[in-house]
Amino acid sequence: MSRYFREWSVAGALLALLVVLAVFARDFYQGQPLLSLATSETPTLVVAIGMALVIICREIDISVGSLFSVCAVCAGLLATAHVPLALALLGSVVTGAILGAFNGVLVAGLRLPSIVVTLATMVTWREGLNWWRQGEFVYLPNGLQWFGLSQVGGQWTLVAAALLLLVLFAVALRRIAAGRFLYAVGTDAEAARLAGIRPQAVKFWAFVLMGAFTGLAAVMNLVQSPQIDPKSGTGLELKVIAAVVVGGVAINGGRGNLWGAFSGVLLLACISPALVHLHIEAYWEKAIQGAIILLAVVADGVRARRARH
Amino acid sequence: MSSGVAHSHATGWRAALFRHETVLFLVLVGEWLYFNAVGVNFSTLDNTYDILRHSVEIGLLALAMTPVILTGGIDLSVGSLLGLCAILFGKLWRDAHFTPLEAGACTVVIGALAGGLNAALITELRLPPLIVTLGTYSLYRGLAEAITRGADTFTNFPSSFLFLGQGRWLGMPAQAPVFLLALAGIWVLVHRTTFGRSFRAIGYSPEGARYAGIPVERRIALTYILTGLVSGVAAILYTARLGQARADAGTGYELYAITAVVLGGTSIFGGVGSVHGTLFGIAAIAVLDNGLVHAFMPREAAGVLTGVLLLIALTGSVAPKLWRRRQPKAPPLKSP
Amino acid sequence: MKKLLPLALAAALVLAGCGKPSAANAGGKQITIALLPKSKGNAYFVSCKAGAEKAAKDLGVRLIFDGPTDPDPAKQNEIVENWITLGVDAIAAACENREGISTALREAQAKGIKVITYDADAEPDARSFFVNQATAEGIGDTLMDDAAKLCGKEGEYAVITATLTAANQNEWLKYINARNQSAYPNMKQVTVRPCDDSKDKAQSEATALLSTYPNLKLIMAICSPGVPGAAEAVKQAGKAGKVKVIGLGLPNENKQYVHEGVTDNIILWNTEDLGALTVRAATALVKGTLKPGDTSFNAGPMGTFQIKGDNIYLGKPFIFDKSNIDQFDF
Repeated sequence: MSRYFREWSVAGALLALLVVLAVFARDFYQGQPLLSLATSETPTLVVAIGMALVIICREIDISVGSLFSVCAVCAGLLATAHVPLALALLGSVVTGAILGAFNGVLVAGLRLPSIVVTLATMVTWREGLNWWRQGEFVYLPNGLQWFGLSQVGGQWTLVAAALLLLVLFAVALRRIAAGRFLYAVGTDAEAARLAGIRPQAVKFWAFVLMGAFTGLAAVMNLVQSPQIDPKSGTGLELKVIAAVVVGGVAINGGRGNLWGAFSGVLLLACISPALVHLHIEAYWEKAIQGAIILLAVVADGVRARRARH
Repeated sequence: MSSGVAHSHATGWRAALFRHETVLFLVLVGEWLYFNAVGVNFSTLDNTYDILRHSVEIGLLALAMTPVILTGGIDLSVGSLLGLCAILFGKLWRDAHFTPLEAGACTVVIGALAGGLNAALITELRLPPLIVTLGTYSLYRGLAEAITRGADTFTNFPSSFLFLGQGRWLGMPAQAPVFLLALAGIWVLVHRTTFGRSFRAIGYSPEGARYAGIPVERRIALTYILTGLVSGVAAILYTARLGQARADAGTGYELYAITAVVLGGTSIFGGVGSVHGTLFGIAAIAVLDNGLVHAFMPREAAGVLTGVLLLIALTGSVAPKLWRRRQPKAPPLKSP
Repeated sequence: MKKLLPLALAAALVLAGCGKPSAANAGGKQITIALLPKSKGNAYFVSCKAGAEKAAKDLGVRLIFDGPTDPDPAKQNEIVENWITLGVDAIAAACENREGISTALREAQAKGIKVITYDADAEPDARSFFVNQATAEGIGDTLMDDAAKLCGKEGEYAVITATLTAANQNEWLKYINARNQSAYPNMKQVTVRPCDDSKDKAQSEATALLSTYPNLKLIMAICSPGVPGAAEAVKQAGKAGKVKVIGLGLPNENKQYVHEGVTDNIILWNTEDLGALTVRAATALVKGTLKPGDTSFNAGPMGTFQIKGDNIYLGKPFIFDKSNIDQFDF
């Protein structure tokens, strides 16, 4: 219990919110709207998995929002050129992976601080995209939405794909050596090096994966509607980092798991619709989000303080 | 993340030439010469004052952010706090009928208190600054929106107050003295007092600083209270410059401020950096931002070039280290 | 470090001192018009720019189109002040901060630069003319009348806005509410949700609205990315036709939904014409062919426009629906 206090407390908070909704806003629990909510959050979840990996090895990536927009526009343009969806998907993932590798080279190769590197690439890609596209929507050809399946079929496919990825990586983090390497590097890079791990290589691949996941997420977002807003990634980085950290992944690296990150994503995803259902005015939303982030970390801090004394 | 920083052992003019601040200053001069050549009406006194006026608020935030980053911390909440302070200032003046002076004093105190909340969470509960201030980044902006319901705008301030943001005093923009005062104050604090030097000691090694008898928590707390206080001052100048206060004031300023500090050569891990470096960082960004307009380049170029400049500065700062790494490696075992 | 600071100051002084004196006008005969959007990269203003560029080419004037790319409300002021020192002949601004930007515009007027506003007005004393695409009251009334007509004058509706602080949207909301109270007492506005000017966020907001308010009859989106976002949500919830979608949007972004019957209609004016008229009015003002007090403005090939007070009227808002939306491409 105590070892996973953070994960349990986030799951508890989520449960409490769901109970409140069950009592005061029954309407929240309807099949189709819930499925739509889940579907629209699948890209966030996929990016959050990548972010958890990066944070566990004690780095951070704040360029994911810009990367997301760039990948979405690239995939969209490929699709408009009547490239098959599978290739557009591949194009998006590769674009993401290349941009992620660029971050990775700077962080792992040159040993620059990731927060500053990705701050710079965030601004560069975002403004570069603005310069190039001038904010124009990309209109996708017909039949692309939901992979050409029915709406419900497409939604379930996306949710299943995201969950599959989550389970795969959650298990891999625990069971596979490469997964354990992330924790080792995040806890103490020097000790990891002495143990025969190449910390810089681990970090590099974490950034490549982060980019590839962002590209994948961009396509998962793309198939949900017939047009792409080039600003769709704005603010994604803060949302994802907040979700991952609320979910118990330590910003100092070496601690946390994907189940916690999953709870964090769910919790933050539910806040906005919950406020609508509870008839709370929109202008309280940001304050409540901030309060929840603070409460999550404060609870942990107070507990750690008790343990110290 | 490597926190050890190589110290240059070279002395004299050669060391000074390769110092980050010097290089950045040369970049700044280069920018100026370039825009002077290609820009229209760039190097006029009016435009110089424009640059100064436009960079005062972000400049103040960056100056105050420097000690925070020197201790190895970060404060993402300054932009949101600027917004909250701006609307509280408006509310105190319009609804509580305070004079601008009284309202201003209260605003600065509120800013310091809000900074104190960050400080308490970071030092008392030992929470990571990035996360605490990410939370208050949302919280302070949210409070500003909740108080005004998003829509309320404060305006029609008396002209004596607006003078602070729009007028000229002894020929220079009226807010310039405030900035210069803050610059001098923070420079002396960081570079000329033992008190301020402890910031770098803490950033270099918090445990070491503790053993050296520095009250680490209290000093760190002070840096966050300072950013809060300065956010309050910046909010007042912002309101005076625009003649209005709205809940979205200062959106995104935290990233500009951090960019300026880091561009100025302060290590994001703490321990290394200088206030004049930050000043050059602010100037390099502000001149770029302004000069591109005079050279008829689109605004997006400013963003792209700021990002690229930051990457070049970072890469440049590790270049000597990379060079040294080419030398034969020390055996992997470190003495405990 | 000791040596550097005085050095920096000295260099700054020398550089500032050797500068040329600021000229009141850009040299040469070509007129320079600076067009300021609320935000760059917004499809609405991109289409204004397209019209403005055509007009500028036609008139032989130099057009600068620049504006904030980030949501920083002070940026517009900074750009205007930059243009003042740059020495443009006229500034045409769409104002994000009515009171805030008026400060900078007054300064421009004091330096002899002609100032007009378009899309969203500044304080009347800070500009010569306002190219009025539709009054806030006109927009509010048209939207509310449209909503009432589709709902049969009774029932619940929800509003999706850009951000809670957006000045234009808040102004429109004020008139929507006023019209609602005075003319349609049985229409109930259940809530106003912000979508941060993002289509995806609008979609999730609308999804939540649909499940929260089962009796909802209509969603009104008053920012352009909000309309396709709301339409997609209604479509996915299988409520197309049952819950109507209307709003202020661009034809291209909404064509598909209008044809599918998800969105009933969108309301807008011809944005290209707005950009073109603005540039023509600004040029005429610089040349002196348009003067305060005129009651009409001859905009060459665009025809003659009525001026009331200091507002140049573009015409009435246009309602795009199934029958006419394909004729427009912007």
